[in-house]
Amino acid sequence: MLKTANHPPGEEEAVNQTSLDFPVKAARIMTLDSLDPKNKDPNEEYVQLQLRIFRTTLIVTAFAGITTIVFFDVQDLLSLLFGALLGIVYLRLLSRSIGQLGKTSSSVSKIQLLLPVLMVLAVSKLPELHFLPSFIGFMLYKPSLVLQFLLEP
Amino acid sequence: MDSITSAASVVAAGLAVGLGAIGPGLGQGNAAQGAVEGIARQPEAEGKIRGTLLLSFAFMESLTIYGLVVALVLLFANPFAG
Repeated sequence: MLKTANHPPGEEEAVNQTSLDFPVKAARIMTLDSLDPKNKDPNEEYVQLQLRIFRTTLIVTAFAGITTIVFFDVQDLLSLLFGALLGIVYLRLLSRSIGQLGKTSSSVSKIQLLLPVLMVLAVSKLPELHFLPSFIGFMLYKPSLVLQFLLEP
Repeated sequence: MDSITSAASVVAAGLAVGLGAIGPGLGQGNAAQGAVEGIARQPEAEGKIRGTLLLSFAFMESLTIYGLVVALVLLFANPFAG
């Protein structure tokens, strides 16, 4: 048989009232905490950074594409866009594997390194594509990373 | 392409990838270790730590990509092939 603590009748009511109030107070505190901008999801910042990097990469790619079509020919533009597409996919794979680090994976995967291999193989097999514009296009994610690093608040 | 050039290209390709991956591999391991420790100590700074890790990984891995591209060019688009 369980023994309960001996409280005087008034005090017991107060204890019961406090234990009933606790979930309500906790819920209120949690709601206020979630409204506080300091307590937002910690991964939200990482997602926002990824979106900013992809946006900047697209802008840099568009700028490089316009420069290529003005000063060079369509084949170079095609190669540059091919490389830029692979670069964006590479960065997406890298950011996804870093996002999983410490959660579902204990190391960063290397699957994204297949993309430069694919690029060189495609360039060596397809005569429409040139190596140097493809490689420059692939590396276009780096200026956007530098811009993010410099402009980060 | 004569046999000496092709043999030298294959050896150079292996060295380019192998030696080029040592430094970035060590650096990425250290960076990932530090980031995971930092996230464990300060979970509220997870987003910022992961963002910094993404930037540093992208720069470190580009060194590996340089070696990889040199090796692949030597293997598939060799400029020394007659």
